[in-house]
Amino acid sequence: MKRIMSRSIFVLIVTLAFFAGICLLAFRLLTQNEAWVQQPYNGHVASSNGLAQAGDITDRNGVVLAHTNEKEERVYHEDEDTRKALLHLVGDNSLNISTAVQSMYRGELTGYSFVWGLGLPKSLRTSDAVNLTINADACKAAYQAFGGKDGACVIYNYKTGEILVDVSTPTYDPQNPPEINEKNEDKYDGVYLDNVMSSSYTPGSIFKIITAAAAIENIPDIYQRSFSCTGEYDIDGQKITCENAHGTIDFTTSFAQSCNVAFAQMAVEVGEEKMEETATSMGFNKEFEVSGIKLSKSVYTLENALGDNQIGWSGIGQFEDLANPMHMAIMCGAIANDGTPVTPYFLDDSNELLKNLGITNAKESEQMLSADTAKKVQDLMRATADYYYNARGITMGNLNFCAKTGTAEVGKDKEPNAWFVGYTEDEKHPYAFAVVVEEGGYGIQAATPVAQAAISALVNSEQ
Amino acid sequence: MGFQAFLDIAVVALRFLLPVYAVVIIYQCFASMRRHRRPEKPLVTLEEKSTGMQIPVLFWENSIGRSKGSDICVDDPTVSRDHCVLLRRQEGWLVSDIGSKGGTYVNKKKARDRTQVLIDDEITVGSTTFTLKRGDEFQDRIRPSWFFSKASNKGSLQPYKLMLLITFFHLFMTVEACFTNEVQNFEPFTVFLCLEALLWSFFFVSTVILKRVNFELEALASFLTGIGVILLVRQEMRSAYIQLIAAGIGMVLFCSLVKFIENPDRVNSWRMAIMIGAIALLAINIVFGTVQYGAANWIKIGPVTVQPSEFVKIAYIFVGAAALDKLQTKRNFLEFIIFSAICVGALALMGDFGTALIFFATFLLIAFMRSGDFKTVLLALVSVVFAGTIVLKFKPYVADRFAAWGHVWEHAQDTAYQQARVLTYTASGGLSGVGVGNGYLKYVGASESDLVFGLLSEEMGVIVSFAIAFSLVALAFYARAITTRSRSTFYSISACCAAGLMIIQSALNIFGATDILPLTGVTLPFISAGGSSIISCWGLLAFIKAADERTYAAKRLKRHKEND
Repeated sequence: MKRIMSRSIFVLIVTLAFFAGICLLAFRLLTQNEAWVQQPYNGHVASSNGLAQAGDITDRNGVVLAHTNEKEERVYHEDEDTRKALLHLVGDNSLNISTAVQSMYRGELTGYSFVWGLGLPKSLRTSDAVNLTINADACKAAYQAFGGKDGACVIYNYKTGEILVDVSTPTYDPQNPPEINEKNEDKYDGVYLDNVMSSSYTPGSIFKIITAAAAIENIPDIYQRSFSCTGEYDIDGQKITCENAHGTIDFTTSFAQSCNVAFAQMAVEVGEEKMEETATSMGFNKEFEVSGIKLSKSVYTLENALGDNQIGWSGIGQFEDLANPMHMAIMCGAIANDGTPVTPYFLDDSNELLKNLGITNAKESEQMLSADTAKKVQDLMRATADYYYNARGITMGNLNFCAKTGTAEVGKDKEPNAWFVGYTEDEKHPYAFAVVVEEGGYGIQAATPVAQAAISALVNSEQ
Repeated sequence: MGFQAFLDIAVVALRFLLPVYAVVIIYQCFASMRRHRRPEKPLVTLEEKSTGMQIPVLFWENSIGRSKGSDICVDDPTVSRDHCVLLRRQEGWLVSDIGSKGGTYVNKKKARDRTQVLIDDEITVGSTTFTLKRGDEFQDRIRPSWFFSKASNKGSLQPYKLMLLITFFHLFMTVEACFTNEVQNFEPFTVFLCLEALLWSFFFVSTVILKRVNFELEALASFLTGIGVILLVRQEMRSAYIQLIAAGIGMVLFCSLVKFIENPDRVNSWRMAIMIGAIALLAINIVFGTVQYGAANWIKIGPVTVQPSEFVKIAYIFVGAAALDKLQTKRNFLEFIIFSAICVGALALMGDFGTALIFFATFLLIAFMRSGDFKTVLLALVSVVFAGTIVLKFKPYVADRFAAWGHVWEHAQDTAYQQARVLTYTASGGLSGVGVGNGYLKYVGASESDLVFGLLSEEMGVIVSFAIAFSLVALAFYARAITTRSRSTFYSISACCAAGLMIIQSALNIFGATDILPLTGVTLPFISAGGSSIISCWGLLAFIKAADERTYAAKRLKRHKEND
């Protein structure tokens, strides 16, 4: 009997193992509950019902972008274009757009807590309101300027960090979300991505800003150089081509006229190591975070470059280069701020939500360029705007601006991606911007109207 | 607004009351189990004739031999290692030789089978002779098991009060179920009334007709069964009633089994019949079984579907356990091993690997308790790992479950669909749950059986679901603690292993659904929906009940009175 009893310790061991398992489960529940709850299929949060108690979302001027009415329905801004323009920032009833405020902070908006779960009656839930730094009118103007094309537009105040415009297309109306099926999936390809934050595109000529900075720092007599462009140039037996022959031009003109031949030569002369060093210091291959959203990385690497020809192409934003629109805006902000950017955000620290979560926006940011180089790049971009874009009738109302367009080849059967990046030089309206239009054609034709429309709307409403 | 707010506050208050209440009930059940116990005293004493040394006899079955592990260890080279067994039955004290070299003698006469020993009789083993004396003559104190350290004859709570507490808990749950977000009606009340009628009839039969002195174990099982039934109300009314009927059958089975195993020797004579019956049941299942959820472990008889493997669990414990003097024979153990192999093999053939795993783990428990041999256990474990690898190779859906294990969020829309939802909704419930009937997990397949832990957590909160998991832990501790006083090794082994089986099954259920183990698809004892499952749980509980010496105490008392 005694022996049998002492052997029953085996049952005890099994029981203790079970107990340990329960403790492990409790531990996981305590540490991961927030992540477990925020799933797109979660019936408590993913339907309109889930947002029945959610607080209002407003823009910088107090315009209500999303609101729950007495019938416990979630209603968005009354204007359809505004709704579509803000879809990727505000979100819809689903959790499909993972970077939208209504997805990222669904738990806080719906009043989720570990203690109460999601079972608290609606009248007792406390839910946070969210105030965005966005200007809804400017977003709408940008959206309309896209004219149905896909792409991204971001504008932020490079002195304060407030993001004013964040528009991503394709989009849909959150009030009447489409059923996406096999028939229309082409039209909605990538619709759940905020292209501003979560996409990276081939930069094309806007990359010349980086190559120019590298040249200023590494080629001492760059301003004394002259380049001769016949429309094409041979490196390693393979061609680098320009749209047309630019003739003999100096450094500043080659930037303004976006001469591929000149910049390919500069990249080769600066060399693999220094090109990568400058690009990395200007934020390529780095992960930025904006109000808790990790940006898609911009990429510049010459690891796979087979020779000088490819280094040349990389210097004019082709090869394997990729640029994220938000990062491009940050980079322009850095140039405008004499080398050091202010990190942008769309949720400022006054939001209860961030306080409750203990999140603060990082204000400080690493220096991207020396002040001296930044000033020289400013001059290049200013000259480009003054002598080149103004001449073609591209203005920002009364604001002075510094900018660069890009036309990035993305494939044989496709139109190139159109880029326009830069910043305004104005005490009252210090805006850094980046616009990309997928398969838009020339940057100067397709991308500039979006920035113009958005900035003029901003100036109008921010008097 | 004012009234609505008042109502909402009431609902929240109720939701927070329930978890606290559940903890109180579970605590009360175990507090009662720890009492009601007579003080530790030896039953009789053996006086060694030559030295006059008094040896207390503590158990109803005692092994006598030279080996250190014997209950009565005799330091005499002429005594065999395992010499004989001294056991107590209704007819009095018996001694049974278990194949010793020198033989066992009662009053100098050689004892062959079980031979009666009276007070002042002499038992001779080898060259040592003992005289049987009354237990009162032994004075030293014996320390009781920690579980019963607070032992006293006063129950902490009268059984009927405990039942009232449980009834009110079920009532509150029913009220919640009546007023869900989607539907508001009083249909759940009918189920509640049927449930309480069943539980109170069971209570009445148990305490008044059968005159059982204690009811805590049954109360705990009733509490859990009721929770399972009410959880079903807003899922499918029909299955709630089926669950109720099955629970009724389970209670009848419980009472019959407790009665049946009253005499462990009678059980032994039925052993072969039970084995053959169980094998026949499995054979019928293999031939006529219908496939459901990937395993052919169901038989359809008219409108009723049963899962024979659930009943085989009870038979399995029967065959595995035995009285001490039978336990030592090789034949008994061999039969058990063959029976185990047939059971596990049949279940694997049906594709019910979850139950096969439970049987195998229980086999390890029983085999170790009987033989005490770690090598046997290790060998069996290794062989099963091999078998498992083969299963993974030839059963792609089993392999899929292993692949999804630990990668729930990557497979949330395919192979780990169920586990992902269990985790999400468990966290969504918070501490006190979203209320009975307000959950979303109920729309996921098998949520009322395999995933019931998630359903429980979502609707009643994690306090309740964890309290229930801990109550199963406590049940296993209790089963182990009572074996010190059980009347035969048959009860010790069967109670421990029945509790062990339930723990293993709970582990597979809870951890499978929550991605701590791969999903196996077994039920959570007493809570999960499933007629066969609930019947078998009540059946298994009978073994734990029988192991408590108090279970049969009332009867003896009565008989004594008749004799007077």
